[in-house]
Amino acid sequence: MPLRLKLADCTGCQLCQLACSAVHEGAFNPEKARLKIIHEYTEEGIHIASKHCIFCKKCEEACPVGAISNNGRWMIVDHQVCIGCGDCVRACPKDVIYLNQNRKSIICDLCGGSPKCVEWCPKSVITLKEKAS
Amino acid sequence: MNSIMGKILTVDLEKGLIRTRVTPAEWIELYTGQKGLATRLLMEDLNPAADPLSGENRLILAASIMAGTIVSCSAKLAIAAKSPQTGTISDGSVGGHIGAELKYAGYDGVTITGRAKDLQYLYIDPDRAELRDAEELKGLGAFASETRIKQMIGDDQVKILTIGPAGENLVRFACICSEHYRQLGRGGLGAVMGSKNLKAIVIRGWLDVRVADIGKCMAAAAEAHAHDDILDPENDNYVYGTPVLVDMAQESGLLPTRNFQSGRFEGSEKINGESLKALRKNKKACFSCGIACGNYVQADGSKVEGPEFETIALCGSNIGNGDPKQLIELNALCDDLGLDTISAGGVLACMMEMTETGVHDFGIRFGDTAKAMELVKDIAHLRGVGKEAALGALALADKYGAPKLAMQIKGMELPGYDPRGSWGMGLAYATAPRGGCHMTTYPVAEEAWGDLDPFTFEGKAELISKGQNAQFAKFSMGICDFWPIESKTLGKLFEATYGGSWPAEKVELTGERIFNLQRMFNVMAGFSGADDRLPVRFHQEALPEGPPKGIEMTEQAFSAALKEYYSLRGWDEQGRPTLETLNRLGIEKELIERYRKSLR
Repeated sequence: MPLRLKLADCTGCQLCQLACSAVHEGAFNPEKARLKIIHEYTEEGIHIASKHCIFCKKCEEACPVGAISNNGRWMIVDHQVCIGCGDCVRACPKDVIYLNQNRKSIICDLCGGSPKCVEWCPKSVITLKEKAS
Repeated sequence: MNSIMGKILTVDLEKGLIRTRVTPAEWIELYTGQKGLATRLLMEDLNPAADPLSGENRLILAASIMAGTIVSCSAKLAIAAKSPQTGTISDGSVGGHIGAELKYAGYDGVTITGRAKDLQYLYIDPDRAELRDAEELKGLGAFASETRIKQMIGDDQVKILTIGPAGENLVRFACICSEHYRQLGRGGLGAVMGSKNLKAIVIRGWLDVRVADIGKCMAAAAEAHAHDDILDPENDNYVYGTPVLVDMAQESGLLPTRNFQSGRFEGSEKINGESLKALRKNKKACFSCGIACGNYVQADGSKVEGPEFETIALCGSNIGNGDPKQLIELNALCDDLGLDTISAGGVLACMMEMTETGVHDFGIRFGDTAKAMELVKDIAHLRGVGKEAALGALALADKYGAPKLAMQIKGMELPGYDPRGSWGMGLAYATAPRGGCHMTTYPVAEEAWGDLDPFTFEGKAELISKGQNAQFAKFSMGICDFWPIESKTLGKLFEATYGGSWPAEKVELTGERIFNLQRMFNVMAGFSGADDRLPVRFHQEALPEGPPKGIEMTEQAFSAALKEYYSLRGWDEQGRPTLETLNRLGIEKELIERYRKSLR
């Protein structure tokens, strides 16, 4: 049940990232968000892209200690088991997993089913796909 | 845990020294952040008589207290210096990400003094702050400069403030550019950077911005956003952005046309909100902004975020240009050269009128937009007549014996509202600390587009002084102009991010304190009530069309309103804040003492 982003309507405000880091990390810090929006000008024009969990489960496959699982709707990381090896970070095709300051894997958990990024997006760019792909 | 990073970076370009200092807690209480903090930092030890283009001048950056939080419209960065265009204090703000990025890099502000020996850029991240060689960026346009810096650093996520050739060449209306299409346009602060041999300031941050109770902060933000409908998809600022104002200004007969000779432009419908919307490729928001007023447009080979209303008015109707594609091209050109589009349009229009009236033949007439594009390049590179024009409309018109054709106040060219169609705006322009500026308050909304009579000064002194106080508080506490926020809501947001108790009266008193602090600077720099004047055209010539047609705004009526304004502000007849007023406002004793001594 991954997030769906209609990037053509995205304005690049990054309120989604602020909401994400606030809810999960207790601080405002777009670098710590579990999704990333790139929305910037280059000399060629405007470049818009996103990095977000597509529920491909490659992190789960890559994890050598079985710390990562899923419930059919989102990924779950057991920080008691996670050894901070970074294999999931390298396996993520969207480059959106990171290790926190305690070297524990941080992966989008859809806020347990009602994602704050969806709630805070002012232009309804982010929605939840109903069925798993 | 109060959304303050607690540090200010101080940079001495002369000695190559970089230090940090603690953000003074008492300054935040008195002046909050952004505009207020920038003003206080500038007042700290700058000699108001300093030459603005000398190493003695300082360039101040200050983020807002709310920058980096989830509060919408809070990321704008204030930059202040003594202006080389006016000699007044001049601060402006630039949108995009850079205000929040400074906080994420660990700083509330930056002060820069001195002059580097050769061209340099300042790099700031949480681990380091250093001056780096920028010789290879010399002469580069703002767009290429940003691209090259990202390549040099190997990080495309840095946020950049840079100047174009206009800033390097000390053009008096050079701007500071950020993220290609965001500018701090006014007051010639780009020339201050140029005079310091500082090509760019590059910022990258990854630190947390923390508040005492993040849940409460998010709830307060969500409530305020909903209260003011700022996320409403029907919001004109989102649907059209600032070009929505073109039709309104045209209808009200106050759209500057041909150097303010008229308030109606026959080609306005070609450069209005609808016309520009047709060329739009994307909407664009600043960091944390739920409104997204920005329009990314493309036309033929040109692309720009804009044109904003002020650019449309000054580089469109005011120079007789009704071609949207040429407007976009001229806008992008000015952005790349690092020229303020408002002043550039004002200077061009002045030259066009001087040519058409036979004062001096600059070879450019109203509607010659192709020539205007060549001329702005000459201005930025100080070539030929461009070298004279680079000093601004007043210096140029003065030189040729026609100072009344320079539509400016205190040396800064006027923005996009003819005050004869909104008399309160005239009073706001005249009393704006940085010269001909539309940002201190916006009575046009009530006068031209609301219920108030635009053609009287009755009640306007109070409207303007109160409006300026609220606006100065709003900017200082961290909200962009595009959120028409009430002081009460602003106070609640400030409580939720910074803390303490901020009722509306305290918010507005803070704004009044900051407004007076800027006035103190100007008085100390030698300004008085004699400088609070409108161009004589506004008193001597009535507008020929629209609602203001034939209505005279006499100098006597204006002077009487100004007198009333001074009295309401607690200033003397020469427009100087009295010591009693400054004490009432709680401005620090040492500053009042310095001010008192300067009055002798």
